[in-house]
This record gives sequence, C-alpha cells and structure tokens, in this order.
Amino acid sequence: MTIDQIINWIPFSADLPAIAFVIAASLCAVTVFLFIAIYALGIIYGEVKISSFMQDKVGPMGQGVGFHAGKWGLLQPVADALKLILKEDIIPAAADKKLFIMAPFVVFIGAFISFAALPFNQNTVVSDLNIGVFYILAVGALSVLGIILAGWGSNNKWALYGGMRSAAQIVSYEIPAGLSIVTAVMLTGTLSMQGIVEFQSGTIWGILPNWIVFNNPFTFISFFIFYISGVAECNRTPFDIPEAESELVAGAFTEYSGMRYAFFFLSEYAEMFVISAVAATVFLGGWNSPISGFFDGPIWGLFWFMGKTLSLVFVMLWFRWTFPRLRVDQLMNVSWKVFLPFSLVNIFGVAIWSLIVG
Amino acid sequence: MGVVHGDLMTLNIGPQHPSTHGVLRLKVKTDGEIISEVEPIIGYLHRCFEKHCENVTYDQVIPYTDRCDYIAAMNNNFGYAVAVEELMEIKVPERVEYIRVIVAELNRIASHLLALGAFGLDVGAFTPFLYMFRDRERILDLFEVLCGARLLYNYIWVGGISHDFPPNFDSKIIEFLDYFEPKIDEYNNLLTFNKIFIERTADIGVLPPEIAISYGVSGPNLRGSGVTWDLRRDDPYSIYDKFDFNIVIGEGEMGTVGDCWDRYFVRMIEMKESVKIIRQALKTLPSGDVHQALPKKIRPPKGSIYKRTESPRGDLAYYIVSDGSPIPYRLKMRSPAFTSLSVLEEISSGWMMSDVLAILGSLDIVLGEIDR
Amino acid sequence: MSKYFRNIFETISTMMTGMGITWKHMMNIRKDNVTLQYPEERWPRPERDIGFDFSEYNIIRSRLQVDIDDCIGCMKCERACPVQCIKIVTTKSGAKGEDLPDINHTGITSSGTKKALIVSRFDIDMTECCYCNLCTYPCPEECIFMTGGPNSHKHPIDYEFSQYDRNDLIYKFAKDVEEEKLSKYLPQKEKAEV
Repeated sequence: MTIDQIINWIPFSADLPAIAFVIAASLCAVTVFLFIAIYALGIIYGEVKISSFMQDKVGPMGQGVGFHAGKWGLLQPVADALKLILKEDIIPAAADKKLFIMAPFVVFIGAFISFAALPFNQNTVVSDLNIGVFYILAVGALSVLGIILAGWGSNNKWALYGGMRSAAQIVSYEIPAGLSIVTAVMLTGTLSMQGIVEFQSGTIWGILPNWIVFNNPFTFISFFIFYISGVAECNRTPFDIPEAESELVAGAFTEYSGMRYAFFFLSEYAEMFVISAVAATVFLGGWNSPISGFFDGPIWGLFWFMGKTLSLVFVMLWFRWTFPRLRVDQLMNVSWKVFLPFSLVNIFGVAIWSLIVG
Repeated sequence: MGVVHGDLMTLNIGPQHPSTHGVLRLKVKTDGEIISEVEPIIGYLHRCFEKHCENVTYDQVIPYTDRCDYIAAMNNNFGYAVAVEELMEIKVPERVEYIRVIVAELNRIASHLLALGAFGLDVGAFTPFLYMFRDRERILDLFEVLCGARLLYNYIWVGGISHDFPPNFDSKIIEFLDYFEPKIDEYNNLLTFNKIFIERTADIGVLPPEIAISYGVSGPNLRGSGVTWDLRRDDPYSIYDKFDFNIVIGEGEMGTVGDCWDRYFVRMIEMKESVKIIRQALKTLPSGDVHQALPKKIRPPKGSIYKRTESPRGDLAYYIVSDGSPIPYRLKMRSPAFTSLSVLEEISSGWMMSDVLAILGSLDIVLGEIDR
Repeated sequence: MSKYFRNIFETISTMMTGMGITWKHMMNIRKDNVTLQYPEERWPRPERDIGFDFSEYNIIRSRLQVDIDDCIGCMKCERACPVQCIKIVTTKSGAKGEDLPDINHTGITSSGTKKALIVSRFDIDMTECCYCNLCTYPCPEECIFMTGGPNSHKHPIDYEFSQYDRNDLIYKFAKDVEEEKLSKYLPQKEKAEV
C-alpha cells in the first residue's frame, strides 16, 4: 500500500491531483505518527523492563489497590507520557526562543520522514523511492541540525558542549554508515528499498537465506559497521556522549522540560527504529522469511520485518545497559581509524568478489 | 597567519551535578574539551564537626564521627575509639578487637563497592553500579542485624562495642563471603577488563608516587601509585599485626603506574584481601564479655594524642587534646579524602572534560569527610 | 599493525563477555531478583533474641518510645543525647511513690521504684534525633527505647512514621494534664512565681 495507491483510491484524484496528494500524504503522516507513538510507548516499557531485568530487579510492577502501574507495570509508559505532557514547559529567559522552540521538532522531523521509505512488507511502504536508501541516510542526518540548534539555543554551556559533540559525532559516523550501505547497493544494483529486499529472496546453496549479510565476508563486516555506526547516530550508549549524563548533566537537552524533552526522546526512539529497520532491510532481508518459501505473504512479511527490526532495537538496549561510555576523541578514533578503513576495504572486497563470484 | 588565541571558558561543575559525589563544586577553565585548570571549591557540606565535638562528651562524639565519612562509618568509629583508648590507656578485651576488625573490614568492602560502582557510573556504565549496590546492601543487612542501624552505626565505643555478635552471626558473615567472592570475578568481566573501560581509565590521570607523597595522599590512591603504604601493616593498631594479608599496589597493568585504572583495580583486589582478613578473624574469634572494659565515665587524663588508622579512603587520624574534663578540649580529624581531593588540581589539567570526572571518581572522595 | 588488530579483537571479545553477563542476569531474573514490591512486601526485621539482657536487645534504630509510667524523671537520657532532642521537665511530687489519680500519675514503676518526681513534660523531637541509640543505655528503668526494645509488646513495631507536619514529629510522652491540676503539686514558693 503506497501513497500512489491511496491517491488512486480517492475519487477526485484525476480532477484535483494536488488536493488528493495532500489528503493521501496527511493520511500516511498520521498513520506513521501513530505508529511511532505506539512504538515509543512499547519501547519505553521495553527499555524499563529490559534494563531492570539486566540489573537484577523487576522494574515497574503494579500491585494492590489505588494508583499503580497496572499489571506488570504495563501502564508505566502511559504514566510517563502523561507526566511529560503535564509538566511545565520552561523556556529559559536567556535562551534564543525561536531556535529553542524549533529544535525538538527539527530533530523529530529527521526521524519521522525517514519512515516514508521503509518497506514494512511486500506492499506497505509509503513511497517506494528509487533512491530509498540514499533518502533515508540523507534525512537521517537532519537530526544533528536539531541537536545543534538545541545546544546553541539553550544558551547553556552544558548544552553547547552536547551540541558540538553531537555534531562531530554524527558527521563522522555518517561516512562509515554510508560506505557500508554502498557495499549492499553494489551487489543489488538498486537504491530502492523494495528492490534491495527483493534481491534477497531465495537461498544461498539451499541452506542460508540469501541475505546480503551472508552474501560474502565483506558484507558480513559491513553489517556490523553499519549497525554500530547507527548506534552512534542515535546517540545511544556507548556513544551517548552528547547527553552523557555523568559529564554534561543532560547534554544538549539540559534546559528542556515537559513535552519538548519528550520529543527528543521520541525522536531518539524513532531513530533507533529507523536505523534498525534499514539494517534489517538492507542486510537481513527485510520482510523475507528466514526459511525461504515458508511463512511468506504480506502478514508474515510484516512479522519478519518487525521481528528483525525489534531484535536489532533490543540489541541497542542491551548495549546501553552493559557498556561504559566512550570519550569524545576515542569516538572519533573508532570512526576514522577503524570503521572508515574497514568500510573502504569492504567496498574494494565486494567489488572483487562480485567480479569473481557474481 | 598568527597563532589562534582562544579564550578560556569558565565552567562550574557542581555543586549540583550528577557526578560530583555530593556537593562539590569544580571551577574549571576549559578550552573546548580540554581542561586547563581545575579548582575544587569545598565547604558546601560543612557541619562544624570539630567545633561540635568541643561541646559534647567523649561518647557523644561517636555519632558525629559516623556522619563524617558516612560510607565507612565503622572505620571512623574505630579510629576514634582507638585514639581515645590510647589516651586513656584502656586495654579492650580480645573478642572486642576481633569483632572490631571484622566489622571494619566488612565496612571497607562496602565502601569500596560504592566507590567502584560510582566510578563505573562516572564513566557511563550503569549496570555494574547496581550489581555492586546489590552486594553492598547485603553488608548493610548484616550490620542491621548486628546493631540495628544500616548506615550510621555508633557501634564501636570507647572501650568496647555496643553489642556482642548475635547468635549465628559468624555463619551469616561466612555465607556472605562465600556469596561475595565469585561476584568479584563478575565485576571484573563486566567492567574492569572491558576494553572501553580500559580505554577510558588506563593512562588517564596518572598520579606519580612523588606527587602523591608530597600531597599527603594515602590509602588506595597512594597504593595505586605503587607505594606500599598501609597503616594496617606499617603502623599496626588494634590486632591487625596478627593477620596475614597482602598490600595491593598498582602495577600499571593496563597503562602507567598510578593511573585511574590502577586506583580502581587496587580497590578491587583490596576487597579480596579484606575477605581474607575476615575469614582469618572469624576462625580465631575468641569468646568473652565485650562490655568488660567499657569505662563508666570517660574522663581522659590531661594530654593529647594523634592516632591514625587505615580507613577505606586512607590515613584517617584523630588529634585529641584533653584537659581532664569529660569533654574534649580540641578534636581534629585528618581526613584522607581531603588530601585526595587536593591532588585533583595537580593531575587533571590537560585532560579532557570526561577524563576529569573519571579522575574525580577514581579518587573516591566523600564530601562529608572533606567538609566535616 | 598487529596491535591494531589485537585491539579490535580485545574490544570485541571483552564486549561479548560483558554482554554475556547481562544476558545471563536477564534470563535468570526470577532467581536473581533482589527488589521487593514495597507496599505489599516488606523487608523483614532482623531477628534477634528479645530479652531483658543488656546485650540481647532486639534493637532497630527507629522511632523512640517512652513508657511514661515507668519514667522517674532522672534526666539521664536528656544528658546522653548528643543533639539535645529530648526535653524533660519535672516537678517534685509531694508524696513519694503514691498514685495521684487526678493528674493520672502512677507512683511506682513496673520494676518497683518509687517515683519522687512528676514528669510534666517529656518531648522528643524526632526530626532532630540522630538515631544513635545513646539515650536508651543509661535509663535505669528501661523505659526509653528505640522501637523493638524489651517492652516492644506494648507498642507496634513500625518504621514508617512520616508525617505531613513537622510538629507531628515532636512526640509528647508526658501525660496530658491541665495546668491548674498540676499546679497543686508544685511547691508553694515556686507557685507564687508562676
């Protein structure tokens, strides 16, 4: 179900194409927004519970009478969201008001519009762009602008530190991430997300699914480089230096409260989804079933896509609750001295590989 | 093109900041991420401990010593009791000495667990902190059984202790030690030998032994710099000379001798040594009346005493001047964390923002003891 | 060059070790869980023999309790307190060891001591209390104790005593008696001053 199909369903689309497009686009946007909101509630609950389990505690549990967090604390994310909405929205007197207000939305937009090119299953994609991967990488980098705006607009030294760190980090991690995607694109020969997924159907030698991650050793390494660069782009531990709470209080988000603060979180979680979804689509076969020929079809496709994506999101949570944080210069070292040479070697390797094998 | 001149930015870390271990304020001059000058500003937790002590009787001082280093209250009680006993020339029963050593070493483990966990938190690792707190909690439970309090014990008194061990308490301690020893390996695997952690701490904030000695740094921080100095061995008080234990020193295993990782690892191994001491003490724990030597009225003769003991943070010393009345004429506490903090200025300039907080964490300061 | 690759290998292997530990904890949460669901489950009080023996108090450093009927007004606890949170005012009762029903005064303590003083004020400010337990040791009648002392059967043992008002944390243990009734027992000279 793409945006084009929705436009075709609208009866007056032939006469008033512009209005039909706006209606269809807002329909898609609302759906995606609802999806993000529901997913965020789920992932907040997941993060709370998973972190608790890893730390020998059980997390929110509702028991007894009166106000409580529901069975197994299921209502906890709702309570968190309500609290953030109801909190006072403080704009510091010395802040640059326009930038300060704009920043959370700019950050959110970056993650939000990436959803347009994600193929949820065989049919469901808002718009199957012929440059889908390229588009996602490009708009994903928008969020750094928002974080810099937040850091600058807050007029706070901690926030400024956070903003500058974030800029340096995201800019440098874009490069290995992009180069790793290139290896996949070289094999598939297309930038369209659906095209990349379709390339990955079938099996290798009848056993392994024909996913790009198993295609050759270079793409195998590429997958990890892309995924870890993606973790860095989402500002998650061990790369959470822009909001390093033990150093920079809350980094770029120090001065934010209430709903604006919630938007930063929402976009962080949304971005985690986007990165995991891209990794799952490009390297792990997207909506393809791991056992080729079985469990196919649109519903199973959605299941496989979500399953793969959410497992990768889970690994991000797992990272966060296990590792210490890197220092800002070590972060750069990892990017420029390890990931970049490896991804260049990967591109070279894949090129040779496809000449010889393919 | 000439040299680019950048202005330095002044940044106040604290007094309200997640990783200043209390209410410490660091006035930091930074050039971007690089720190050029750190000035610790203390006094936010000053509670006039020493002046208070000039107005309360000797036994009433003990609750106040609890509140100085609230992480290791037993060791503070211990040091004070030992000092006053030496002034009054009291000989405490053998059993009291053993019990004191056991609780002091248990408290040392608890204190080190907190120090290591908080240090992990400073470099961004959340889970080890909670694991260490989980095990520290068990020690606090033991103390609750022992004297009813979990944090501020008022347990070691001048001339004795407030309560004898409850029945079966030693088996409870053994049970804890058996549980605890394998956990040290878990911490090591989870945090100590994690490459990111090593990168963050090895070769960072190197404290050379000469500087450490000239600043008067003591305890695990000094031993981390490779100096074998432990009052339990070098100036034995109580019955520490009866036990066999090693003095752990930093060996620069991952970087240079005296870096943050060494200071961290010394504490980790010291916990094992404490376990060793407790096991030895429990094996030879004599029986007897613990209240035998409690003086009816504490009225030391005229004179003064300077007695130092090894608290988890280093040389903790009490200087007590007595004028023969039941109230101390003057009481001065030499706080180990204070000297540890003073060295921060020396070793942290030139490092990055994140490193300064890691160095601060590795020094294991307790603001209650610094400001008193 | 070999150091470069060894570094990468070490990073990966130590990270996997760490992740293995957290994974193990996550999977064994039912066994490893150490937290309690507070209002429903409570941390058990440590068990000790409760007895009158000095060394075997089942002490819990919690709120202070006073059995005012046993108090002889010796002020030892007030002197022992390092933070001066106990305030006691006593008056001489004319008849030693006699009950004075009009002001609800018991003449003889439970251990048989005849009381010579009427305790007209016995306030403990629990906001100031430092829970050092020093006041309980000198008491000759064992009438002041932290919760769970020898007379714990007389009082519920609880360590939840938060209040909305600070003044509610000033515990007044003395019998609530009207001023005129009490003034009868004041010596005449002092009465004139009052």
